[in-house]
Amino acid sequence: MDTPLSIAVIGSGPSGCYIAQSLRRSFPQSEITIYDRLASPFGLVRYGVAPDHQSTKSIQSQFARLFERENVRFAGNIEVGRDISLDQLRNTHHIVVLAAGLPGDRPVGVPGEDLPEVYRAGRLTRLFNAHPLEQTGVPKLGKSVAIIGGGNVSIDVLRMLIKQPEDFVNSDIDDAVLADYVRAPAGRIDLICRSTITNAPSDPVMLAELGRIQGVRFSCPDPIEVAEGAPRTALARAKAVEGLLAIDPGTETRVEVALHFGWAPVSINGDGHVRNVELRSVNDDRRNLHLDADSVVTAVGFDFDDGDWHGLGALKANLESGAMDHGLYRTGWIKRGSRGTIAENRSCAKAVAEEIVASVDALQRQTKPGYGGLPDEVRARAVDYSAWKRVDAAETEAAPGDRSRRKFPSHEHMVAIAHNKLVQTSAGTGAN
Amino acid sequence: MMKIQVLFGTESGNAEVAAEDLAESVRNDSQEVEVQDLSSFSISELQHDSMYVFLCSTYGEGDLPNTALPFYADLSVVRPDLSGMRYAMFGLGDTFYTETYGHGATKLDDKLTELGAQRVGEIGRYDASTWEPVGECAVAWFAGVLEDVSAVR
Ligand SMILES: Cc1cc2nc3c(=O)[nH]c(=O)nc-3n(C[C@H](O)[C@H](O)[C@H](O)COP(=O)(O)OP(=O)(O)OC[C@H]3O[C@@H](n4cnc5c(N)ncnc54)[C@H](O)[C@@H]3O)c2cc1C
Ligand SMILES: Cc1cc2nc3c(=O)[nH]c(=O)nc-3n(C[C@H](O)[C@H](O)[C@H](O)COP(=O)(O)O)c2cc1C
Repeated sequence: MDTPLSIAVIGSGPSGCYIAQSLRRSFPQSEITIYDRLASPFGLVRYGVAPDHQSTKSIQSQFARLFERENVRFAGNIEVGRDISLDQLRNTHHIVVLAAGLPGDRPVGVPGEDLPEVYRAGRLTRLFNAHPLEQTGVPKLGKSVAIIGGGNVSIDVLRMLIKQPEDFVNSDIDDAVLADYVRAPAGRIDLICRSTITNAPSDPVMLAELGRIQGVRFSCPDPIEVAEGAPRTALARAKAVEGLLAIDPGTETRVEVALHFGWAPVSINGDGHVRNVELRSVNDDRRNLHLDADSVVTAVGFDFDDGDWHGLGALKANLESGAMDHGLYRTGWIKRGSRGTIAENRSCAKAVAEEIVASVDALQRQTKPGYGGLPDEVRARAVDYSAWKRVDAAETEAAPGDRSRRKFPSHEHMVAIAHNKLVQTSAGTGAN
Repeated sequence: MMKIQVLFGTESGNAEVAAEDLAESVRNDSQEVEVQDLSSFSISELQHDSMYVFLCSTYGEGDLPNTALPFYADLSVVRPDLSGMRYAMFGLGDTFYTETYGHGATKLDDKLTELGAQRVGEIGRYDASTWEPVGECAVAWFAGVLEDVSAVR
């Protein structure tokens, strides 16, 4: 058992970084590699968390320590299932941990969802975040937009759509996408939340924050008071909504936002194009509502796809155990489903790391070469951490004065910078 | 030389990073120092001849992080007499939360003071909105605290 323990983590989002942190502590001598299909680390911290929430993104500096000080290897630009198979990784590493997240938006499950102007929140949030594998071009949203979903992601989308370019100071929003949108911004947005204000899945601060944006008039046709003795969060949420309703931008009104609580979508209607959304009251027998809309954004979570996950069959959420097979584990969203904040992935990773520690003696009997055992061509394509830092520097340098960085929306471009294969142009030009 | 006990309460791990950097800087001064997660620390372990350094973030509506809640609840229920105990306090938060900025550490600080413990130095503050490395911020703050301590003695 003198062979050093080799560990592969698939995915460099919060879950992958947290599990590497835990495993580094338990196995100081081990070789740990975090693989990602992207050229950049940090997953949804970079490509999900809203570009105007830079303080949430600052968790990246915690994760960067793994690569800078804790001898964890980053191997970007390697997609498991395309550049290398899961079996290859399992044959070369003692332990493989899946931390690949959940990319697919969950459907709402109502008729009309396949109309052309129905968009998934994941697409929009990736667009505003310049995700390199997202098709570009802002979808046609039209004058009025209905957002289905009451969680923090739906509020992120709402906020992106009601802000003006000057509200994005110090963010890393994709300015080309933003410019595209503000050419024809929405004048009315309906946010449709199935739960009442008491049980809504949003953070009160997220709602309150909307009130800082100029030129927005809020309305809420539903009861906003919550029962006395309701949980503190519910009271805070009600207070936040009250605060929004008290704002009167008068003649400065650019956009009307209506908040609906306790309404579930029944169908999205239209003849070839979205015309309206029909809603049913969840808690009483009020008549169904029909909200006119030119487009619909669905934000009801992310899900496992039913396909065969790299030969493992269809995955389902598992809240109990991270162990999937001999030497194979999973953590984060790919274990629990799309629930929870960045921080919740930390306790999840700790629990899975404990499972790994408890079973490691049985795993280490064979010699496994780790990263060095991968084919040359795979290692040649990898973007390591220092290569990623070149992209990082280029992005910061390309940022206009009022932005923290300018993300490059092309994967090939990022890889070219990483591998020093780009004919150097002056900062910013030719970057797309 | 007194022993320094570093205790952190965290949800997303920043306080732990800060605790480790702080401990390392103290160790380099060859002080005896130990780092522990508040979730695995019992109030019965509190000793009067140690110096405690608390690092604590803020969640919810100005609450302590989940991992620090049991410790805080025990203090509130058992109400141990902490007179003679000395501690320093470092709070992590985010000025995005204007009304509750750093309240987690303030709450913990109030509780310790109420039970008779004596704080040395000012409460340190880290604002996640700044992107400053949290470890460096904590180390710089604690150097100042140690100066205060030696000035008092
Ligand atoms: C739009 C949005 C906004 C959010 N905002 C917040 C917020 O403000 N605050 C908060 O606390 N939480 C937020 N969250 C939740 C948070 O992002 C998640 O809890 C967290 O990112 C889940 O971490 P993960 O590591 O499991 O998955 P991810 O972050 O998705 O990371 C998965 C990684 O695996 C890689 N990968 C996938 N498949 C492969 C493959 N086959 N081969 C190699 N690599 C692969 C991906 O490229 C990615 O980097 C948000 C989520 C979304 C969707
Ligand atoms: C859901 C949530 C709520 C928060 N609430 C507050 C708050 O009320 N006040 C504050 O100062 N910071 C708040 N923060 C910011 C955290 O305290 C800050 O990010 C800190 O650096 C986290 O430290 P940790 O990683 O040790 O948990 C909140 C963060 C999140 C994600």
